[in-house]
Amino acid sequence: MTSAVEFRSVSRHFGPVRAVDGVDLTIAEGSFFAMLGPSGSGKTTCLRLISGFEQPSAGAIRIFGEDVSRVPPHLRNVNTVFQDYALFPHLNVRDNVAYGLMVKGVGRGPRHAQAEEMLALVKLDGYGDRKPAQLSGGQRQRVALARALVNRPRVLLLDEPLGALDLKLREAMQDELKALQHRLGLTFVFVTHDQHEALSMADHLAVFNEGKIAQIGTPQDIYDRPATRFVADFVGSSNVLPPALTRALGGPEAWASLRPEAVRLAAAGPVTGPVTALRYLGVGTRVAVRLGETEVAALIPAGQPLPAEGEIVALAFDPSALHVMEGAR
Amino acid sequence: MRSDRSPLALKLAAFGGLLFLHLPILLIFLYAFTTEERSYQFPPPGLTTKWFAVAWFDRPDIWPPLYLSLKVAAISTVMALILGTFCAAAMSRARFFGRDQITLLVLLPIALPGVITGMSLRSAFGVMDIPFSTWTIVLGHATFCIVIVYNNAVARFRRLSGGILEASADLGANSFQTFRHVLLPNLGSALLAGGMLAFALSFDEVIVTTFTAGQQSTLPIWMLNELVRPRQRPVTNVVAIVVFAATFLPILAAYYLTRGGSETAGMGK
Repeated sequence: MTSAVEFRSVSRHFGPVRAVDGVDLTIAEGSFFAMLGPSGSGKTTCLRLISGFEQPSAGAIRIFGEDVSRVPPHLRNVNTVFQDYALFPHLNVRDNVAYGLMVKGVGRGPRHAQAEEMLALVKLDGYGDRKPAQLSGGQRQRVALARALVNRPRVLLLDEPLGALDLKLREAMQDELKALQHRLGLTFVFVTHDQHEALSMADHLAVFNEGKIAQIGTPQDIYDRPATRFVADFVGSSNVLPPALTRALGGPEAWASLRPEAVRLAAAGPVTGPVTALRYLGVGTRVAVRLGETEVAALIPAGQPLPAEGEIVALAFDPSALHVMEGAR
Repeated sequence: MRSDRSPLALKLAAFGGLLFLHLPILLIFLYAFTTEERSYQFPPPGLTTKWFAVAWFDRPDIWPPLYLSLKVAAISTVMALILGTFCAAAMSRARFFGRDQITLLVLLPIALPGVITGMSLRSAFGVMDIPFSTWTIVLGHATFCIVIVYNNAVARFRRLSGGILEASADLGANSFQTFRHVLLPNLGSALLAGGMLAFALSFDEVIVTTFTAGQQSTLPIWMLNELVRPRQRPVTNVVAIVVFAATFLPILAAYYLTRGGSETAGMGK
């Protein structure tokens, strides 16, 4: 499989700040790739390096094998769905979508026809004459998507595309984006700080921390086998166990992660502690238990008996659920 | 709902203040129609429209100042539109050492009292041996016209959020296309508003003009001179009505234009 985007030890420094610091990355053609991380972790800078709005301080970026380090944004065959959509306020929806064709010199008739086609693709037929100000947030997002797709880019970049939408709309758009990507067979690269979004939409993801990639892999790899404490903390609502506690619970003396859904409450065990909090989540209840310095969460499925706050309990789990991490951080 | 209604006394005071400010304007209109020409007698002994005819047919001395004022206002507005827009573009896009200080310098002419601007320009013209002409008046007016345009343009640049300019480049537009298809249409109403305000300000400027004009007089200065002469005084009022219309209407239009513009330019969030 060809690689759509390739980073070779790419860095981007802003003065003393290392926004992106020696990143190696390969995004396969046709994949739905997520860059996940907290704000300031370098994920958005990476996206802007692909679109060309940032130049690398060091390293090389290739798009379909071509070194694009010196290619300005308007000559790159990638398009972006911007975080705030950045629709042109003075143009109607049809002209917004047709903009990319207009600047290429496509005539009015053909470009409007193609714009309508794109609007149909994002289920906005008949909205062509409206101004962006007259649309809802979800509709604007679809216009931004249609506008970015009209140039038939080889890579579509999405910068926090769903951040401004409410939960229900966001879930619907997640499914739709996924279906659209499948249908068009394009490479999608999207940036998000929402771990659920990244895990459910992407087929590969990179977790960013402080300008570096902390881990790269499939959602399952990353969820089940976080490489570092940071990944375990950020991606899952996983428990992160310090070496002493791992050992006390029957593992080796090393940092380990343990998913709450793998933990059961038991009457007796090697380590016991008081229940400090109960949080009802619908599908179950999250029970926090204090073991020494560490708080460990267990997800108790709905319908099972719950302990009272303050009750002393022990924890039980399948030893295979305990994942030992290589990195200390 | 406690602060919905203000006390009666406050309302009366506000209303009184408004009357105090605006009644004199009505008086100017009224005196354009009075039959008495030597002094402004109240109430007017009679009403007539003959002064409009007198101003139009019998007073050739009105026209040169009117032309000069229109010419000066037009040239300084065009200068301000070009320089003010470029300045705003530079200030809102670039970050450089001393940027805040330069912003202050750009804004200074409008904060400085007109006498200071006028005196400094006059002495500068003297030092450089520049003879007084229409161009020295234009230069004086351009100092504050640029600020007006700059203020309007810089506010719009700020609202434009780099986003749509980047989106344009992302979609394949080069910088000229971005300027032509995105920046200019979005800046248009702000520039129109700034230009109109600048024109209105220049048209009725007196202080800087007195310092920078030689033998010529602009319309406001002609009016000032007319008022001390007890001859056909209502003609001055007729001219005042024309000036009022020429300056107030553009300002009103500018106000509505920028207000409408904020709705379209503020969206996108």
